[in-house]
Amino acid sequence: MPIIEVNHLTKEYQLGHITSLKENVLNTFRRLGGKPTQQRENFKALDDINFTIEQGEVVGIIGHNGAGKSTLLKHLANISKPTKGEVIVRGSIAPLIEVGAGVNPELTGRENIFLNGAILGIPKKIIQQKLDEIIDFSELEQFIDTPVKRYSSGMTVKLGFSIATSLDADILIIDEVLAVGDLAFQRKCFDKMEDMIIRQGKTVLLVSHNIRQIERICKRVILMDHGKIYADGASAETCGLFYAQNDEIIKKQSEILHSNARKEKSNDIDLLSIELLNENSDITELITYNENVTFKINYKVNTPLENPIFGFGIHTTDFLYLATEITDNQFKDQTLLPGEYTVTVNIPSFPLLPGVYSTRIGVDAGKVTHNILYEENVFHFQVKNITNERSLSLCEGFIHLKGSWTLNRNSIFQ
Amino acid sequence: MINVVKNLYQYRELIAALAWKNIVIRYKQAYLGVLWAVLKPIMLMLIFTLVRSFVGIESDDLPYPILTFAALLPWVFFQESASEGVNSVTSNAALIKKIYFPREVFPITAMVTKIVELAISFVILAGMMIYYKMVPTIYALWVPAIIFYTMIVALGISFFGAAVNVYYRDMSQALPVALSLLMYGSPVMYPLSLVHKKLIEEQAAGAWSNDLYTLYTLNPLAGIIDSFQRVVLKGLPPDFNALYPGVILTLVILPFSYLFFKRAENWFADVI
Repeated sequence: MPIIEVNHLTKEYQLGHITSLKENVLNTFRRLGGKPTQQRENFKALDDINFTIEQGEVVGIIGHNGAGKSTLLKHLANISKPTKGEVIVRGSIAPLIEVGAGVNPELTGRENIFLNGAILGIPKKIIQQKLDEIIDFSELEQFIDTPVKRYSSGMTVKLGFSIATSLDADILIIDEVLAVGDLAFQRKCFDKMEDMIIRQGKTVLLVSHNIRQIERICKRVILMDHGKIYADGASAETCGLFYAQNDEIIKKQSEILHSNARKEKSNDIDLLSIELLNENSDITELITYNENVTFKINYKVNTPLENPIFGFGIHTTDFLYLATEITDNQFKDQTLLPGEYTVTVNIPSFPLLPGVYSTRIGVDAGKVTHNILYEENVFHFQVKNITNERSLSLCEGFIHLKGSWTLNRNSIFQ
Repeated sequence: MINVVKNLYQYRELIAALAWKNIVIRYKQAYLGVLWAVLKPIMLMLIFTLVRSFVGIESDDLPYPILTFAALLPWVFFQESASEGVNSVTSNAALIKKIYFPREVFPITAMVTKIVELAISFVILAGMMIYYKMVPTIYALWVPAIIFYTMIVALGISFFGAAVNVYYRDMSQALPVALSLLMYGSPVMYPLSLVHKKLIEEQAAGAWSNDLYTLYTLNPLAGIIDSFQRVVLKGLPPDFNALYPGVILTLVILPFSYLFFKRAENWFADVI
C-alpha cells in the first residue's frame, strides 16, 4: 500500500484581499435573496494532482516558481486543506518545511532544541538522549548557550537542520533547506540524508531549485508546471525535460536582456555577432554531437590594439563553465588597426553531450595586458544526438569519456 | 469535547514548551522579570482603594484592599487569558504556515502561560492574608475548581475570538474595549452582595429586579469572583444561586465556540 496517496488534489485561492465584513454581510443578504454574489477571481494553485509514493521512495519535486511545489508540500503536511480531492498519508510526517520555522531568536540554541523538539512532536526524553548528538552535528558547541538572535543565518540553519533530522518520522519533507550553510555542512547534511534514505528506509520528499542535487539524490522526480504534474518519472529524464523548459525561457529572456550575465565593455572594441557553422558551413544553432563545427566571432575594432588575446568559452545555461579556449601568444605580436575582424575557432569533434549551451567571449589587449571586453551568455546553441537512440553514457554528464571497457576474471573462488 | 481533552493530553509537552517559551521571552531581558506580571492587579487594587476613599463602597466587613485584590486575581487571569488567547493564533502565524498540530494548542497555551502569573498573584494574596491575620478555612479547597471554571470561560471566548481574529483583526481591537466594560459589570470594584442587596432585598428596579439580578449573574465572572471571595476570605461555601446562570451560559457557548474554531482552523494557513 502506498505511503502517500494523492487523488485529484485541487487547491483554489481567491485572488486579491480578503473580503471586508461589509462585503461578507452584503453577500449573505444576496445569497438569501437568491441574487448572484460578488465573487473574487479564483486561482488554481494545484489542479487535479494525482500520484502515489511507495514506502522508501525518494522523490524530488521540481518546477518554476509558482508551479505549486510548496503548496503541494503544505497539503502533504496537513497545513492546508484541499478545495477538492484528498491526500492520504499512512505514516508520521516530519514537517521540515523550511528548517528553522520554529526557531525563536530570543532563546538560546539549547533552549531552541527543546522547543523545536516539542513543536516537531519529539518527546522530551528522546531530545535529552539525543541532545549531545544534535549539538555535535550542528557544530555549535561553543555557541549553544547564546541567544539565536546573535547567530549568523548559516548557524541558525545548521541548528534547525540538526534538530529536524533527529526526528524519527516515516516521511521527511525537505523544502529548499540546503541552500544555506557552507559547503562542508551541506556535504554533511547530504550524508545524513543519504543515511536516512538508504539505511533507515525513510520516504523522502525533496523540493529544490538545485536540480543537480535532486538528480543525484532522487530516483524519481515530479516536474510541476502551473499547478499540474507535467512529468513524473526517472530523475535524469524529468530533469532533462526541466532543463529543456528552462532553456527556452532563458533563451527568451536573454534575447530581451542579458540580465544576470557578467558584462564588461570598453570603447576599444565591440562585439558584432557570433555565428556557428556546422560541417557543411551552414549557419545554425543546432549541431550534432561529435560534429566538426566552427565558431565565428565578429568584432569591430575602434582604436589600434596591441598584443590582442582572444578568449572563447562554453557554459551551461546555469553558468557552469565547461570549457575555455584562449589564443594566448598566438596573435600577440600583431597590432590590430581599426576595422572589422573575424576570429574563428574550429572544433573538429564537438565533445559536449546533447543539451543547450551558451558561450562567453573575452578580449585582452595592450602593452600591459588588460581586459577590454567580456561577455557571458551571448549565444545559445543546442547539441543533439546523432541518432534518436538514447544511450545512457550520452545523457548523463557533459562530456563523453569514450572509455573502452574490459572485464577479466582474475581468480576463481571454489 | 472529549477530543479537546485527548489533544490536551497528547500535546501536553508542546503546550508546556510553548508556554515556557512565552514566559522566558517576555521576561528574559527585563531586570524585574516576572514581577511585572503582578504589577497590573496591584496597581488596580491601589487605584480602587484610593477611589473608594472618596465614594465609599461597602466591603462586607472585610478590609477593602484584600477584598478587591481577591476579585482582581481571577478577573485579571480571565482578562489576560482571553485577550492573549484571541491573539494567540495570529501571533504564531509563522508556525501555523509551517507545521501542523491541532490549532487549539495556541489558545490553551496562552492560558497556561497566564497560570504562572496567577500563581505569583496567589503568593501576594497569601501575604496580604497574613498581614490582615486571616486564616483560610476548609472551603479554600474550592479554589482549584473555581480557577478551572475561569479557564473554561476564558477558552469559550478565546476559541471564537482567535478564529475570527484570523479573518478580521477587528477582534483583537474590540476585545480589550469589551473586556474593560465587562470589568465594571463584574463585582471587581464592589462586592456582589451590594448588587444582591440593591436588587433582591431593596427591589431597586421594581418588577424587573429579580430578572435583572439573573441577567447580572449571567456574566460568569460575577459568580466566579463572588465564589472566590467567599471561599478564600469569608470561609463560606460558594453561592450557587449566583453561579448557575453563568455556568449554563458557559456550557452553551463553549461547544459552539470550539466547533467554530475547528471549522475555521482548516483555512488558517491560507488566510492568516
